[in-house]
Amino acid sequence: MTSSSQFKQLEKLGNGTYATVYKGLNKTTGVYVALKEVKLDSEEGTPSTAIREISLMKELKHENIVRLYDVIHTENKLTLVFEYMDNDLKKYMDSRTVGNNPQGLELSLVKYFHWQLLEGVSFCHESKILHRDLKPQNLLINNKGQLKLGDFGLARAFGIPVNTFSSEVVTLWYRAPDVLMGSRTYSTSIDMWSCGCILAEMITGKPLFPGTNDEEQLKLIFEIMGTPNESTWSGVSSLPKYNPNFSQKLPRDLRTILQPHTKEPLDDNLINLLHGLLQLNPDMRLSAKQALHHPWFAEYYQHP
Amino acid sequence: MQAIEDAEVTVAARDKPIPSESSKEGTDEISTIYLPRKFSKCSRTDLAVLISRMLTFLIQINDSLALSKPENARGLTRFHSRVPPGISVYNYLIRLTKYSSLEHCVLLTAVYYIDLLSSVYPVFTLSSLTVHRFLLTATTVASKGLCDSFCTNTHYAKVGGVHSSELNILECEFLKRVNYRILPRDDNIDWCKLETKLQKFTLYEEPEMGQNSRPQNSLKNSGYNVLDAYFRKIVQLVGSYASSPDKSKVVNYVLRPSSPIKDGSRDSTHDHALSSQTSLESISTRTINSDSKPKSHEDEEPSARKRNLDSEAHPNGKDKVPSPGESKLKKMTNNQRTPNINHHSYS
Repeated sequence: MTSSSQFKQLEKLGNGTYATVYKGLNKTTGVYVALKEVKLDSEEGTPSTAIREISLMKELKHENIVRLYDVIHTENKLTLVFEYMDNDLKKYMDSRTVGNNPQGLELSLVKYFHWQLLEGVSFCHESKILHRDLKPQNLLINNKGQLKLGDFGLARAFGIPVNTFSSEVVTLWYRAPDVLMGSRTYSTSIDMWSCGCILAEMITGKPLFPGTNDEEQLKLIFEIMGTPNESTWSGVSSLPKYNPNFSQKLPRDLRTILQPHTKEPLDDNLINLLHGLLQLNPDMRLSAKQALHHPWFAEYYQHP
Repeated sequence: MQAIEDAEVTVAARDKPIPSESSKEGTDEISTIYLPRKFSKCSRTDLAVLISRMLTFLIQINDSLALSKPENARGLTRFHSRVPPGISVYNYLIRLTKYSSLEHCVLLTAVYYIDLLSSVYPVFTLSSLTVHRFLLTATTVASKGLCDSFCTNTHYAKVGGVHSSELNILECEFLKRVNYRILPRDDNIDWCKLETKLQKFTLYEEPEMGQNSRPQNSLKNSGYNVLDAYFRKIVQLVGSYASSPDKSKVVNYVLRPSSPIKDGSRDSTHDHALSSQTSLESISTRTINSDSKPKSHEDEEPSARKRNLDSEAHPNGKDKVPSPGESKLKKMTNNQRTPNINHHSYS
């Protein structure tokens, strides 16, 4: 097992939800790592986020998921040793802002990143793990153009019957409408909505539904995707926070909304994929596997 | 594997004198509860009763085997008490279930963790000296690792009757021993053993790990039949009141019969899973006294994140949980105090 003396601690990379992350150098191998330091709190003991992140990530070996190499125990902290990544998607997109105008990524890069995102998510779902906090900040990228899922602090295994599924999951902008309306029976579809939001954000450089609270979030979603009703989404009216007085909106054309924010023409396949991921009804949403087989990715799966 | 077979033999042997014994009391007075085939649909009280029967049963075996060993051959672990705590396994488990709102899967996972921990830490056995700290630690880890609703360690410790700093140490000890492999998946114990044997945090980096040395199922496709398998096995072993060494609740448990075709095939899958790797296999047999001793901790307020106790955990007055001050506690909020465990029970 590894000891902390094996690593040289370098600059701080950021503050995570429950930890501080430093860049580190493995003195034996010369390989850079990310060292996530978790304080052991006297009230909480080992934070549940750390227990989850470790227990879930050690099962996930995939090229589109950040690797957890080891855990180092010291007196009052845990250090998680992760694969080092140069950047995250949020910072990368921010760095491309011109003046005050966010810029979308080139569509070829959007496609490459999104393909990798879906590969990572698909692997999680096959491994019976929900990420539950997919957003650009949690998608790490490196200088080779690789994209990997990180931060599994909110993740959970599914398949074990558990009574309590929290609806307080996923950062608001990327939270699915069924979860916003209080559904606690969600499954893999919760991550797929986030994937749809991220796809649109990569195209335009701007978050698709930047709400400030639950109500506004739903309003923003309905303004673009249309207000659901029993005929478009059977069962929606029995969700805990369904409101029959939601203002009634018709679905708008996604191309009309997104095209002004990008120079490249958005083709039908891309718009079709977005619609598949941003289905209000979770049962209608594409799975990660289905999305990977979408015609928009034909060039990848036809020429592997 | 050996232990479960031993257990079955013991049950079979003990079953014989039962008829005369139960006829004395009148067999027809023992009611029978037909349990749903899915453990998540059972009442948590019934699960707690069954599990405490199972644990009591294992403790009997392990305690008697430990007695046959010289004292210096009995291993000491952090889970040991100096003397057996005064609260029965049944009362302790009911107490944890109720005041820490343990979910169904947490209760069964705690049983699974006996096998998990024993398989990589053979010094540990479930005995009358280890069961309390073990249950407290196992249910804490399972709640925090598997459920979205859980409490702080301070709360769990208070309900369990130990100082929170001790629970923190026990939690750390457990997580390290099992190498954070806390998901009750079908082949998890095999992976855990392999990692422990090779002293590796993860086996993914091992080039020499060929197909042959890996557990049979690929990790990716491993399922969650373990808890169902444990549930069925427990009902089978100690469902009948007669075969249970724990007489806290006079009731027989039987699984509701399943529809023949569909469930028949499912059963065989479960039996297979059970016989191959999910049996209560590693309950080994040693025990020893310890200097450590749980302390009561009266002055702290529990600061649970969520306290939503359903009344189901305590459906009748027979389940006596030590709850000074409040006899019928159905809802607990952050502001309410957790009743302390009776101190004299730990001495």
